[in-house]
Amino acid sequence: MGQGAGVSREKPCPVLPAPCQKAMKPTHRHPPTWAQKLLEAFGDPNTLEEVQGDLLELYVHWVETVGERKARWRYVLSALKLLRPLAKRRSSEQYTAPFSFSPEMIRNYLKIAWRNLVLHKAFTAINIVGLAVGLATCLLIVLFVTHELSYDRYHAKADRIFRMTTYGLVSGKEIKTAYSGVPAGPTLVHDYAGVEATTRFDQAGTHIVKHNHDSFKEEHVAFADSNFFDVFSISLLKGNPKTVLIEPNTIVLTETSAKKYFGEQDPIGQTLTVGERGLFRVTGVCQDVPSNTHFHYDMFGSMRSIELRNTWLNSGVYTYIVLRPGYSIAELKSKIPELVRKHIGTEIQQLFGISLDEFYRKGDELGFVFQPITDIHLHSDLESEVEPNSDVKYIYIFSIIAVFILLVACINFMNLSTAGSAGRAKEVGIRKVLGSIQQQLIWQFLSESVLVTFMALLVAIGMVALVLPSYNQLSDKQFGITSLLTGWMLPGILLSCLLIGLLAGSYPAFFLSAFKPVSVLKGQIRAGFRSGWLRNTLVTTQFVVSIGMIIGTLVVYRQLHFIQNKKVGFDKDQVLVLHDSYTLGAKGKAFRDELAKLSQVVNATQAGYLPAGASNNANDGFQPDGGSDQSTIYREKTYYIDENYLPTLGIHLAQGRNFSKAFPSDSAAVLINEAAAKRFGWKTPVGHRLWSVGNGQGNRRLYTIVGVVKDFHFESMHQQIAPLVMYYGADNYQMALRIRTTDIPGLLKTLEQKWRAQSDNPFAYSFLNERFNRIYQSEQRVGQLFGIFAGLTVIISCLGLFGLAMFTAQQRTKEIGVRKVLGASVGSVVALLSKDFLKLVVVAIIIASPLAWYAMSRWLQDFAYKIDIEWWVFALAGFLAIAIALLTVSFQSIKAALMNPVKSLRSE
Amino acid sequence: MKRAFLGEFEEIVLLTVAVLGESAYGVTVTQEIEQKTGRTVGFSTVHTTLQRLGEKGFLSSEMGGATAERGGRRKRFFTVTAAGRRALQEVKQVREELWGALPPQTLQLMGG
Repeated sequence: MGQGAGVSREKPCPVLPAPCQKAMKPTHRHPPTWAQKLLEAFGDPNTLEEVQGDLLELYVHWVETVGERKARWRYVLSALKLLRPLAKRRSSEQYTAPFSFSPEMIRNYLKIAWRNLVLHKAFTAINIVGLAVGLATCLLIVLFVTHELSYDRYHAKADRIFRMTTYGLVSGKEIKTAYSGVPAGPTLVHDYAGVEATTRFDQAGTHIVKHNHDSFKEEHVAFADSNFFDVFSISLLKGNPKTVLIEPNTIVLTETSAKKYFGEQDPIGQTLTVGERGLFRVTGVCQDVPSNTHFHYDMFGSMRSIELRNTWLNSGVYTYIVLRPGYSIAELKSKIPELVRKHIGTEIQQLFGISLDEFYRKGDELGFVFQPITDIHLHSDLESEVEPNSDVKYIYIFSIIAVFILLVACINFMNLSTAGSAGRAKEVGIRKVLGSIQQQLIWQFLSESVLVTFMALLVAIGMVALVLPSYNQLSDKQFGITSLLTGWMLPGILLSCLLIGLLAGSYPAFFLSAFKPVSVLKGQIRAGFRSGWLRNTLVTTQFVVSIGMIIGTLVVYRQLHFIQNKKVGFDKDQVLVLHDSYTLGAKGKAFRDELAKLSQVVNATQAGYLPAGASNNANDGFQPDGGSDQSTIYREKTYYIDENYLPTLGIHLAQGRNFSKAFPSDSAAVLINEAAAKRFGWKTPVGHRLWSVGNGQGNRRLYTIVGVVKDFHFESMHQQIAPLVMYYGADNYQMALRIRTTDIPGLLKTLEQKWRAQSDNPFAYSFLNERFNRIYQSEQRVGQLFGIFAGLTVIISCLGLFGLAMFTAQQRTKEIGVRKVLGASVGSVVALLSKDFLKLVVVAIIIASPLAWYAMSRWLQDFAYKIDIEWWVFALAGFLAIAIALLTVSFQSIKAALMNPVKSLRSE
Repeated sequence: MKRAFLGEFEEIVLLTVAVLGESAYGVTVTQEIEQKTGRTVGFSTVHTTLQRLGEKGFLSSEMGGATAERGGRRKRFFTVTAAGRRALQEVKQVREELWGALPPQTLQLMGG
């Protein structure tokens, strides 16, 4: 109907109609408030304003004509009749631009977005797959990183728990150990009011634990103070938390180990034999120690079950303190010198024979360092850590990789959208002519990208679920798909997806929506080409990241190869290690002799100390003889070995001789390595004498050096080979056999039979080269992850490149047709199409090489023994990148070049 | 286009709006009808009819400027649209045709 035909109207009459004039008289009488309110609440919102006004005006009129009472009555009646409780606000009938976020508009954005995505299936697929791979990788890394960051944060008092570690500087050698003296914790609680509590535990090696006829080797046994479960938030499922660990020979099991020994039976009150420590009574069951804890024990014996030397030096337990709220750790730190003076002075006097002041004057130091418990996992790398800790460095590396991968995936998205913009320029022009405002167009494009992001997220979650088992294996964690849904993870993921979508869509959105409709519709703007420089920058960025990752992977693998194949100074192949030979006790020596007689065994040694894998550790102080009394004390690592040790492990002598039974005096003989000879400053050390000052209290003993062994790597390649002193003796902790056989299963069978004849403990073994490789497990893990991530980055970049090439080929269909008609060869057309992309890759190589070189040399600094980064690494990475890019692009170029020009020219 | 039916009261309201010209809004229309027809008309009835006529396309409306009285509320002024005028014409024509068809003697009987 022609309702728009109304003539334009001037504002209401200047002379007010009668009712208005009356209304101007001041009146204090009002219509009933409740009726007004009712009308306000339930009237038709579309006409409410004028109805209220009209009624008010009429009311005034009624009051004057029929009296107030009737007027009120009429008002109420009219108001009631005008209630329209179900009426909804109608959108204005006048044509105004709708609000950009009204539900209708959002629905429309999504509908158009969906149609566009379906229309360009190939682009959509490339976009979604690329983004999904990026997102999946990111999710996996986020899982890893958040788990690493969550270590020990679950303790209720996490912000007040500190680990007390020992720091010392003795004769220029730093001592940093994770534990501190046995009396340290209790003394702090006693002396300082700010320390609320302390708890200590000691890990006492492996134990064979028996219950009836079941026996298991338990590697994670701790002996803890009775308030252990008070300080750490590991909940006790059975037993009284106040009393479980008070009595000697009582033990608390974790849920899993309780099941292992007692099945469904109630473990409380049952007994277990723990190694040689005797019978223990189970007093409690606690939950399994959460995976994000810096220790993972399966059993907690009471502290009073073991004997501890009650000295500050030469003893150590892991000591944790809880501060009172409001008491700062800095305050406690300032008290340390006073504490050392009060309690440790006399012990230093005994041990070193000098007073504390002299000790300080020599430049030596002794003190304690307090680590927040939440920092232990990522920031602590001390001697005798409970478990090897992670390193915050890897958190950074992986976070950066995640950001990079996401960046590359986003760039794909932006590139493909801007590239596709030429096709949509017309659409934008038409929309603008039809009255779209720029803001609506922006939201149109943004909603498209957000839609793609969320579709990619769905695909990504599917991918994560698929690869999670292998990822868990690789990263040594136990994640479930539910880890993605816990706590703030889900909202976080959704929010970041929204952000990514907005960010990735922002450039196309603002760029496309700014087109001038007139020029677009005239065909003056070929949008696809105008944004060329930006696309080039983005593609280059992608390849800088990809090439950097390739270089990184190459360097990591080369370094791993290097340390695994470097001459370590001992022969790590064909060496079998028998575990737990200490359980044989006195029979150990005879057992060794028996094994040595086997034809497949070349030599055997009691090898408690081994250069790879589980090994005993010892340190001693040494003073070269013949110096003055005040000559420096060196604190060096020590081994206890028998005469078979060097031949079994294939360690060579540089000077002198090996230990031998032929020399009874060898009980006072030592071997040193070349590094030690250098440290003591001897060219020909054989014959020199050393004082061992290990245990203080006049325990000084004089040793004669009988030989020097060639340096061998007894620690990881992260460290320089340290000085080492080897005593003559035997450590029965484990046994090493040099074997010569191709029939290893047969040999193992024989060994197991012999073992069973001697012991009812489990038979366990390992190979030295495997143990050696395991030292570099974390580096290997990084290497593998790096490789995978590099591969993914390259794949995502290539997807983007593929899409771009496809697009360019489409754009230039006509041009190629014309060229072919004029006689261009297929080869020249392919070259024409590939050239532009290759230029970008070359630029990327030039940018990426120095960056990657810098980053990787930083990483290599951690190794004392490392490779040089050679030029060919960059050349290889560059070559790989070019090859991959060429392969990706040429598929499209060749397709375009082979097309019959008749077809391409006939279109339109 | 289907011819919209115009009820008796609708016709009166539409006519009144036409009569009032530029000052036709809820109050004036109500008062004018009361005055001219002498019957008491509820405001709500008039309001509803005005709305219905608007929906049928016979009236268009526009909000006036804010006023100091009426609590500052604006008035909605109504104008008869072209369609409204046509509808009125048709009604009038039908009536006139019917009157014209009336035999003269009947007309006299009615006291005309």
